[in-house]
Amino acid sequence: MTSRTNTVLVGVASLFAGLVIPVANAQRASGPVKVVQLTGLVGVKDNAKGTLTVENGQLHFVHGKASSDVSASSIQDVVTAGDSQRAVGGTIGLMSMAAPYGGGRVLSLFRTKIDTLTVQYRDADGGLHGAIFSMPIGTAEVIKKDLVAQGAHTTASGEPTSAASSSSSPNKEQKQ
Amino acid sequence: MNRILKAGIKLSLFTLILSASPLLAQKNKPAKIKAAALQVEMIESDEIKLPAEFQVALYENLIRQLEKNGFSHVYRDGDRNAASVADLVVLHSTVRGFKAGSERARQVTTVSGATSITVHCQFTSPEGTSLLERDVNGKVRFFGGNLKATYDFAKKAAHVANENFSTPGRE
Repeated sequence: MTSRTNTVLVGVASLFAGLVIPVANAQRASGPVKVVQLTGLVGVKDNAKGTLTVENGQLHFVHGKASSDVSASSIQDVVTAGDSQRAVGGTIGLMSMAAPYGGGRVLSLFRTKIDTLTVQYRDADGGLHGAIFSMPIGTAEVIKKDLVAQGAHTTASGEPTSAASSSSSPNKEQKQ
Repeated sequence: MNRILKAGIKLSLFTLILSASPLLAQKNKPAKIKAAALQVEMIESDEIKLPAEFQVALYENLIRQLEKNGFSHVYRDGDRNAASVADLVVLHSTVRGFKAGSERARQVTTVSGATSITVHCQFTSPEGTSLLERDVNGKVRFFGGNLKATYDFAKKAAHVANENFSTPGRE
C-alpha cells in the first residue's frame, strides 16, 4: 500500500515538475539574449545576429563589434508575439528543396517556435522608427517587462498575442 | 510609274504615323507632380487587425524602397524637419486587406499558404489635399517568410511614387 502511495506521489511530483520547469526556463533572468534583428535598427543590416540586453535605460543590441542603442524612454510601443521558423534553414534548407521524393518538403514540417519583439521608438528629431527582433521562445516577454520597467511605453499589456504571422494560424481573410 | 510613286508616298506616311504614335502617347502621359520631399506616415490598420511586426515591416520597407528609388529626402512620421520643407508630399497608408498565410504550407504544398496585404496609399499635400490615391498589394507565394509580403508591397508602392512624382535632381 505504502509503495503504491509513494509511486503516486512520485508521479504527481514528476508531473508538477514537468509543468513548472519549462515555465521557469522561459522566464529566466534577463541577461544577453541571442536575437536576430529582422529589420529596423539604424546602421544594422537586416537579419543581423547579435545579443540584446536591457540595461541603464537602454535597449542594447550588439552585433559583432558594432552596437546599437535605443533609449527605453523613447520607445512608444513594445509588442511581443509568437512565430515559428524552419528547424533546418539557410543553405542546407534551400538545397534540401531539391531532394527527391519530396524529402525537402518533409524537412519543412519541422519547425521551431520563436518569439518576436517589435519596438517603435522616436529619434532625436521626432521621427518614428520600428525594429523587429526574433529570439528564443519565452525571452521576448522578459525583455518587454524590463523595457517597461525602465520607462518604455506599451499599448498591449498582458500575455503576448498569437501572431497572425505564425504558420500555425488559420488562414482567415479580413477585408473591408 | 505614277502608281508606284503614290504607293511609296502612302507607305512613307503610314510608317511616319506608326512611328510617331508612341511619341504622341508619351506626350499624353500626365505630368509628374513636383515633390521636393516625401513624408511617410505610420501604416494605419484600424479596421483590419494587423500584427505589430507587419505594421513596422511595412513602414520600414516603404521608407527604404522610396530612398532606393531616388527620393533623397524621405522623412519619417513625426519628423520635425519636414515642417519647413516646401513641396512636401505626405504618404498616408491604410491597410484594407490582410490574409495571413503559412510559410509551412507554402513550402510543403507550393500552391497554398500565400500571404497577401492590400494597402490604400494616399499621397497628400501637408494641408491634406489629395494628390494621388492607389491600392497597392504585397504578396509572398513561394519562398520566404510571411514578412516578405511587406517587402513586395514596399517595392510596388515606391514604383507608384516614382512614376507619379518628380524630385529635384531626378526625372
